[in-house]
Amino acid sequence: MNSRSDRMIRALIWAWASAIILFMYLPAIGLLLASSTSSRYFIFPIQRWGFDWWQKTFVSLEIHQLFKTSFAIAGSVTVIAVVIALFGALAFARYDWKGRGIFQKIVLLPIFFPQTVLGLALLLWFNALGLQMSWQTAVFAHLVWIIPVCTLVISIQVYSFDPALEEAAFDLGASRFQVFREVTLPVLFPGIFSGALFAFLLSWGNFPLSLYTTGADTTLPEYLYSKMIAGYTPGVPVLGTASTLGAGILLLCGYLLIVYLRRRRSADGA
Amino acid sequence: MTGIMTGRSPILQLRNLTKTFGSFAAVNSIDLDIAEGEFFTIVGPSGSGKTTLLRMLTGMEFASSGDILLRGERINDLPANKRPTCMVFQSLALFPHRTVGQNIEFSMKIKGIDPARRKARALELMAQLRLPENYYAKNVTKCSGGERQRVALARALAYEPDILFFDEPLSAIDYKLRKTLEKELKDIHRETGKTFIYITHSLEEAMVMSDRIGVMRAGRLVQVGTPQEIYTAPKTKFVSEFIGDVNIIAVSVNGSGVTAPTLGVGLKSPPAPAGFAAGHLVVRPESLRFLEHAGEADNALSGRVYNEYVLGSRIQYQVRVGEQVFIVEKLRQQAFAGKLDDNVLIGWDAKDSILVTD
Repeated sequence: MNSRSDRMIRALIWAWASAIILFMYLPAIGLLLASSTSSRYFIFPIQRWGFDWWQKTFVSLEIHQLFKTSFAIAGSVTVIAVVIALFGALAFARYDWKGRGIFQKIVLLPIFFPQTVLGLALLLWFNALGLQMSWQTAVFAHLVWIIPVCTLVISIQVYSFDPALEEAAFDLGASRFQVFREVTLPVLFPGIFSGALFAFLLSWGNFPLSLYTTGADTTLPEYLYSKMIAGYTPGVPVLGTASTLGAGILLLCGYLLIVYLRRRRSADGA
Repeated sequence: MTGIMTGRSPILQLRNLTKTFGSFAAVNSIDLDIAEGEFFTIVGPSGSGKTTLLRMLTGMEFASSGDILLRGERINDLPANKRPTCMVFQSLALFPHRTVGQNIEFSMKIKGIDPARRKARALELMAQLRLPENYYAKNVTKCSGGERQRVALARALAYEPDILFFDEPLSAIDYKLRKTLEKELKDIHRETGKTFIYITHSLEEAMVMSDRIGVMRAGRLVQVGTPQEIYTAPKTKFVSEFIGDVNIIAVSVNGSGVTAPTLGVGLKSPPAPAGFAAGHLVVRPESLRFLEHAGEADNALSGRVYNEYVLGSRIQYQVRVGEQVFIVEKLRQQAFAGKLDDNVLIGWDAKDSILVTD
């Protein structure tokens, strides 16, 4: 009986794992394969293997500019979103104040708004203000959608934060600023870090908001979209793969940074 | 114990201290002097205002009116980080991202003391609190409950406070460890000679550790005294009920003496104070005894043994007299010889009973 149910569980685990690999990672591998062809068109099975398109893509100045624009937007969005969302999350989950209930609902509203409609609305709004569309306006548009997400992510960490920690530090002679730097910030750091990752990745991959608000500047997803509509080359999967790898590398760097900081801190204490 | 305290100047004086939230007075005009080096415990049920009082004393909450004087100086408006006092929190509030050593050194780091001296002092405190030296670099979240208590205490002592406050730090700890830590804390109090102000809802905990106890009810300090006084001479029914089991008999006083309407008998009691018309007679279970004849004690009642509870070294008997249930407590060696449902005579002497108001 027992061994039978054990076998059953094992079979289910295998089925589950295979399904994840099949549905989540196979498309990504397909993308990698599609980028590794030497021919001009997407033909499967691949006739001639080669990295010609990788090479062509990486020397293209246009592509460099795309990466720069996307990076400028995602970088700015990350920094601004994390700062605002951190304080937003403290208001959301840490402090009990009059109007908190309304605040919690209003903050989440932009997430429920379809992004294409939100993008259009922001475009009209920027026009009404007489602003020139550029990557800076896109930063603002991304923030409207990403700050709420980032606030939620950080709030989860804030909910598990014991306010007595701040009081204890204050009681031990720390100023308000020292309490924030020595206790609040480091204890909330895992949440802030996840919030930053979310902010970066959501901005990096965002298409609908960028479409309306970048003006003459073009981001990676916008470029990929236009290329797919008209003028597909294997450069598209190359860029897609590069973008995915870039995000992966970013995650890895972040992880290494955390490990490094943790090591250094325990070295301080020893 | 009071003898030890007399003659010392008060370190902390509360004058008409009040805290109101809207129209609700959480702490209602409290007057209290606490002597230098005293272990003072404030006891009260939840909602009695003891936590609010403590938060005012630490500077995390500010008084609505009245004064807090520290060595004669008014510190009402001084925030917690400017007061020479420190608190051990109920949750302990140890910094989870730091090691045991870093937790203890926190206040010294804030003061800008150099790392070598910080570490020396931290190790000194750890030795005093029986924390192994190799715990210095241990993550504080990996310590056991008792060890965490000691780290929290070491962290507070490292601040060199004039007064140390405790907000029920032992309430979440299992019975056996709690008993050990209570005694440890009292030892530390003697070793350091500092003033300890402790709050708890457990009068038993307060009895073990304190020089004096203040009992709070609905924002007011209803009685202050040594553990002995609180136990043997409670002023009200509320205070008498606060520790252990107690027999309470509703009584009224008139010209002919004290009578218990519910039992329908007259009782001998200590003399009633002037103006005392109705109240309660309190008799501790250990003051009650089983009698052979009614004449053996000042007061005697006949009842029926309904149940017995073995408490280890002591045994309790539930004796029913009419509608009222009495608890009689005996040492195991003096256990009641009869059996359940036996009719018995129980009694006590007038000197062992206390007249209290409601």
